[in-house]
Amino acid sequence: MTALRSGVSRTTLALPLLLFGVLALAAPNFLAPQNLANVVGQITALLIVSLGQLLVALVAGIDLSVGSVMSLAGCLVATQPDPLWGMVLALLLGLAVGIANGLGVAVAGIHPLIMTLATATFLQGLAYLVLPIPGGEVAPALRSLADGSLWGVPQPLLWCALCAALVYGLLHRSRLGLHLFAVGAQARSAQLNGVRVVGVTVAAYVGCSLLAVVAGVYLAARVASGDPTMGASFGLESVTAVALGGVQLTGGVGSILGVLTGALSLGLITNGINLFGISPFLRGALTGALLLAAVCSQRRKVVGL
Amino acid sequence: MQPSARTMPDTVGHVTTQDNRPDLVVLESVSKRFGSTAALQDVSLRGCAGSIHAITGENGAGKSTLMKLLAGVHQPDAGQIRVAGQVLRLRSPAAARAAGISTVFQELTVLPNLTVAENLLLGREPSRAGLLDRAAMRAEAQAVLARIGIGLDPQRPGGSLTVGEQQLVEIAKGVSTDAQVFIFDEPTAPLNRAEVDKLEQLLHTLKAQGKLVFYISHRLDEIFRLCDTVTVLKDGRWVATEPIAALTHDRLIALMVGRPLQALFPPRAGTPPGAPALDVRNLTPLAGAASARLQLRRGEIVGMGGLEGQGQREIVRALAGALRPAACDIQRHGRDGQPQAYDPRLGVAQAVRQGIGLVPEDRKQEGLYLDLPIADNLWLGVLRGLGLVRQAPRQRAVVSGMAEQLQLRASSLAQEVGELSGGNQQKVMIGRWLAAGVDTLLVEQPTRGVDVGAKAEIYSLLRAFVAQGGAVLALSSDLPELIGLCDRILVVRGGRVVGDVPAASATEEGLLALALVDAPAAAAEVPGVMAEVAA
Repeated sequence: MTALRSGVSRTTLALPLLLFGVLALAAPNFLAPQNLANVVGQITALLIVSLGQLLVALVAGIDLSVGSVMSLAGCLVATQPDPLWGMVLALLLGLAVGIANGLGVAVAGIHPLIMTLATATFLQGLAYLVLPIPGGEVAPALRSLADGSLWGVPQPLLWCALCAALVYGLLHRSRLGLHLFAVGAQARSAQLNGVRVVGVTVAAYVGCSLLAVVAGVYLAARVASGDPTMGASFGLESVTAVALGGVQLTGGVGSILGVLTGALSLGLITNGINLFGISPFLRGALTGALLLAAVCSQRRKVVGL
Repeated sequence: MQPSARTMPDTVGHVTTQDNRPDLVVLESVSKRFGSTAALQDVSLRGCAGSIHAITGENGAGKSTLMKLLAGVHQPDAGQIRVAGQVLRLRSPAAARAAGISTVFQELTVLPNLTVAENLLLGREPSRAGLLDRAAMRAEAQAVLARIGIGLDPQRPGGSLTVGEQQLVEIAKGVSTDAQVFIFDEPTAPLNRAEVDKLEQLLHTLKAQGKLVFYISHRLDEIFRLCDTVTVLKDGRWVATEPIAALTHDRLIALMVGRPLQALFPPRAGTPPGAPALDVRNLTPLAGAASARLQLRRGEIVGMGGLEGQGQREIVRALAGALRPAACDIQRHGRDGQPQAYDPRLGVAQAVRQGIGLVPEDRKQEGLYLDLPIADNLWLGVLRGLGLVRQAPRQRAVVSGMAEQLQLRASSLAQEVGELSGGNQQKVMIGRWLAAGVDTLLVEQPTRGVDVGAKAEIYSLLRAFVAQGGAVLALSSDLPELIGLCDRILVVRGGRVVGDVPAASATEEGLLALALVDAPAAAAEVPGVMAEVAA
């Protein structure tokens, strides 16, 4: 059962281990504490936003606006002097974007690619408006949450654990979680069984946008400033991470463990590119190729997404 | 639409019927349109507690639509629905369920990625403090399955269930809902005989508990065995509501069809069959499986039946080239009588080129282009025989001639096939192969989802086809159909043809005995596999 619904296979589990092994052997600096801390920090944002992408993928959707949401959330906390107020603004932003995306997809029947591409472009514009060039300053209180360690555990790991636990509770301990899987498998059948498909879909997009906000705030806090293009690459990278983790983009199949392996794999590949001194431009090319490979390797009935 | 309907005081809700039981459900003058088609026009219906009420009629008569109004799937354009005297506006299936109406839909809604337990309780999961109570869920599912007597593991994923098992889950889901009104939309189609018996017991229990059961079916023997009252619809209009005791089979058929039915099955051919259209000396559909031998001659309709999953479907699919057989040795005589080799491993296109067409069981998915007009669907048969860049002849004459031959009932040849009734869709499917000039038809479930009137027309179509030198192999899980339609019946067990019975002397009992592993007594020891005469 679990394999059928989680999408986790030996390949998805082996990929990050294999990459770790290769990097540990071939890249001299890989195991240095400084680099490892760096990798954890990089993967944290990707993991958090990918967990959100998982929610949307489960209902057979896709959210390309997460990158812009991250950027705009980062710009908001970097420009607001009061960190609490900045957070509230950013979370309200996530809520609004999620509702808009969800209603557009579930009520207006707009294809999720188009709907979220539209909001992504819209929000990117807003981000430039809030903060035209990288800058601003994130309040020290927030900064201290993203760096250093608490009780001997690096703070980024705590962010990851907290978000994963939240999503786990949502997916496996709540009725909504079961309904997400149901809607993703067959929306009409779920509807006939009394599942409120519109509500469930909107909830998935809201959850995704809120997690993107968290990822954006984390990233801004880590670099201590805002950047209107900070999240740009995360839209497609989160989709790639999710696909690498065995999540079926056609809906109904996916797991937190899978997303974790996917985000780890992608993060390790990125780190490898840095360590080996490969052109950073290749990173984008590689992400695209990986997404294609991951989607092609999925067993599914409908060719397409 | 009718703001007054929500609050209107009820004055006539508890009108009693002649047997003095109060009406639990009243549908009053309901109408429903889909686009330009009127699915229901001014239909009224009363159902009283403690009864089983059959809703019947030909396909497209509006049975399912009527019940979907009550199930909250569709909302009526006009008219009102009262349950226990209360005027209800059912905006969603969830709302109907909350109003005490439980529905087993005709379409299977079991989700492949949920377990049996999750499927059973979807939409009404037990929860504690807002969190899913998985232990309670398992226990409840276990209890429901045990009470109904279904031996299914509640932890099995829905995707691993057979169609019959999925239907059992649907039934369990419907029956276990705490409701006053139960709707079953053709629940027995995928069930074997033992499971049908079980379902009938359940329905009687519900009736004894004072529930109202609406039972949609066009299987007459079921209606007569089970139901108290019958409502007949035709073309979206109410025709009659009668107590079952006042009806005979013939009278009910006449009500459904609107005209007396000629003999359902056309007479068999008087002449002996000709040369073999397919002489299958060896056909092994899957590596390691048994190999089948059979002969299909021109001028005859050969039936094929057996227990569910005995490999008969694979044989037909392999013959058609839709499934690549592991091994085969097949001879064929063309229309000119010349022998030729036939190798289904070369694929469907080659099979069609050699004059062999498959009418698939799932014609909507595998056969027809539902959103293309009738003309294009038929025309495709002609195009198949041509090269890619050959200029096609004018289509109109061919297509309209074919439509006439098929006795298609459609507003025009430009109508989308998806809008047609099951019977007319099946005719288009067969017509496509006739247009392509095939001389051998492999037909899976010739009349599944086809109403009584169209059944007879499809049977005569097939009979006329073989009378002109064609050959038909018909795979069916409907024993009376096999016996009535065919000249010979092949019984398949374990991938082998174990019986070849002349249909004229075949009986259902005899075919069953052949299909079962040993004698029927031996099969009865294995619960659940009894009498699964299905393809």
